[in-house]
Amino acid sequence: MALNMLLHSKLRSWLTIVGIVIGVGAVVGIISLGDAMEASVQSRLADMDLSSITITPGYSRAQSRIPGHGSNDWGGNPTIDAKLTDRDVDALGGIEGIVYAAGEISGREGVSYAGENATLSISGVDPQVWKYMKSLEVESGRLLEPADKYVAVIGSGVASKIYKKNIGVNQVITINGKSVRVVGILKEEGGFEDRQIYMPIDAAVNLITDAEKGVFDSIQVKAQNVEVVDTVATTIEKKLIISRHIVNENDRDFSVIALKAMAQSVTTMLSSMTLFLGAIAAVSLIVGAVGIANTMFTSVLEKTKEIGTMKAIGAKNRDILMIFVFNSAMVGFVGGIFGVILGVLISALFPMIGMTVTSGEGGAIPSVSPGLMIFGLALAVLIGVISGAVPAYRASKMKPVDALRYE
Amino acid sequence: MHANDAKALKQSLNYPLYTEKNTEAYEVNCPTSIRNNAAGSGRASLIKLTNVWKIYQMGEVDFAALRGIDLEIYEGEFLVVLGPSGSGKSTLMNLIGCLDLPSKGKVSLNSKDISGLDESELARIRGQMIGFIFQSFNLISTLNTLENVMLPLEFQEEDTTRARKRVEYLLEIVGLSDKKQNLPSQLSGGQRQRVAIARSLVVNPPIILADEPTGNLDSKTGSYILEFLDGLNKKEGKTIIIVTHDLEIIKHATRVVYLRDGEIEKIEIREKSDFGE
Ligand SMILES: Nc1ncnc2c1ncn2[C@@H]1O[C@H](COP(=O)(O)OP(=O)(O)OP(=O)(O)O)[C@@H](O)[C@H]1O
Ligand SMILES: [Mg+2]
Repeated sequence: MALNMLLHSKLRSWLTIVGIVIGVGAVVGIISLGDAMEASVQSRLADMDLSSITITPGYSRAQSRIPGHGSNDWGGNPTIDAKLTDRDVDALGGIEGIVYAAGEISGREGVSYAGENATLSISGVDPQVWKYMKSLEVESGRLLEPADKYVAVIGSGVASKIYKKNIGVNQVITINGKSVRVVGILKEEGGFEDRQIYMPIDAAVNLITDAEKGVFDSIQVKAQNVEVVDTVATTIEKKLIISRHIVNENDRDFSVIALKAMAQSVTTMLSSMTLFLGAIAAVSLIVGAVGIANTMFTSVLEKTKEIGTMKAIGAKNRDILMIFVFNSAMVGFVGGIFGVILGVLISALFPMIGMTVTSGEGGAIPSVSPGLMIFGLALAVLIGVISGAVPAYRASKMKPVDALRYE
Repeated sequence: MHANDAKALKQSLNYPLYTEKNTEAYEVNCPTSIRNNAAGSGRASLIKLTNVWKIYQMGEVDFAALRGIDLEIYEGEFLVVLGPSGSGKSTLMNLIGCLDLPSKGKVSLNSKDISGLDESELARIRGQMIGFIFQSFNLISTLNTLENVMLPLEFQEEDTTRARKRVEYLLEIVGLSDKKQNLPSQLSGGQRQRVAIARSLVVNPPIILADEPTGNLDSKTGSYILEFLDGLNKKEGKTIIIVTHDLEIIKHATRVVYLRDGEIEKIEIREKSDFGE
């Protein structure tokens, strides 16, 4: 039926659709932001090795920090003078599902190059297993090898951002007065790894202040695969509790952090944040729906006589119902179009106000996918239909005589 | 101005509303029994009111707007209902037009009691059998001339191309072919009533119901409208029922019903009538 031409009066008041425009705009903007954050996190997670487990000294009940690749900056619990040692690494020996376990040390030391001095993070790693533990790739040169001593692999930032003169492969930097040859430069990661210097642990122990042989700032463990990570982590905890003679849970002085568990909690946090923002958007949608319903009620009242006329010339209740529902669906549709446009603008605005959800190279810029646009439109139409339903039903049920008599 | 409208209308009366072919080609689900009767003697009873009461409840007080009306209306009549204001003319009209149901008594259309019908069946009867003409034209303000006239056909879910042809034809008859795109607010009173007439005829209903169709028009335009309706009655055999307090209209009538305080005071059969037994 071509009833669509009916009531195609100009949208009564722009105020009516403003609620819907804002609601849909907010929903679309928030979803696109949420999607972008999730995509960004997912891509970071994909880079991470989810089968790795980090053991650190100290224990905090609120393990909410995200572990980095390096183990520096990994505070631990300062109140306990706990240390991780060779013995702990040995204790992990018999655990099934572990591929490697290696201690790492870290510290911030003065590093000079071409007459300039800077304080940078140094990690001492086991050259044998390090390359398997991290998903690092070299831009030029090579990774560390077992025979290496006073050599370093440096992050891209160290190579090109810290010093006026760029550092190249085979050039020599000075760490704590000792010459160290750069053998490899890592690809840019966009994280703190870019400003990191990796060295074989045996050499690093001599360069890092307060470092002792056989004492680690962290132990990096790699499980056979992602599936066994949780079991392996639990087993490690049990083993270390025994080997470190911990009787009381309160005396616990080490933490076992599986990257996988971290990733999961971050993802959960993210989706609950999106949900919360979505709820706010939903409120504005409800306001929009009330606006449409209100306009439709007014419209039904205003058009009472015309409703009577239409009934007199043969309109069935269903026809009247359809006309009004269609009309409010149209209001929703038009509101939806502007809402989607607003949503696109909102999502384009996030990077501009510095709310980058990116943490990696370029990262994911929030964008509104065609699917999301259609969803926004459909949502607006649905709200139009729902909020128009009651007034439309009321219009359809009017008695023709009464409607005709209405002035 | 109205003189022009009237002239256009006068010319239009020279058109036959339907040729034989047109009637064939155009039939909107009108019950065949009615058509068969129309082809017959012209005496068949179309509408019958038996002891009809309409009682309005106004809070505690009941008010009887119609008190035991008995009236039979025949195929092909030009019936005029006359009476002072408040005598119940519009109330009677609403019952005949299936817009309302009686509080008591029986209204039969085509010997079928309408009080047993549900809303959608009543809507179907209104849409297919009755063409309404109102005092205040009652056009849909947001629709243009063409769309207004088309509307009844859309409610009958008529095919758009056929509907369009039919509408164009009727607009030509009422002399508004050049006003198709005008909104009601862009038409004169006489033009609006012509749109309303075209709308009332678009489904080719056997009955035309008009409640004071000339009430809002000057006497000249009004009398041309009446002549048009007269033509429909004579040439097409349409049953015309007009409610009015305009005595001028009586001269077109085959029968006049005088209403007073909700009762039929007298019924007068007119000279020109074929019903003057
Ligand atoms: N919905 C209603 N509720 C209460 N009373 C009503 C209602 N409709 C009509 N009436 C009363 O019924 C009586 C008849 O009304 P009706 O409209 O039929 O008069 P009418 O003959 O058409 O008058 P007019 O020539 O002024 O149009 C009036 O007294 C009116 O007040
Ligand atoms: Mg009246």
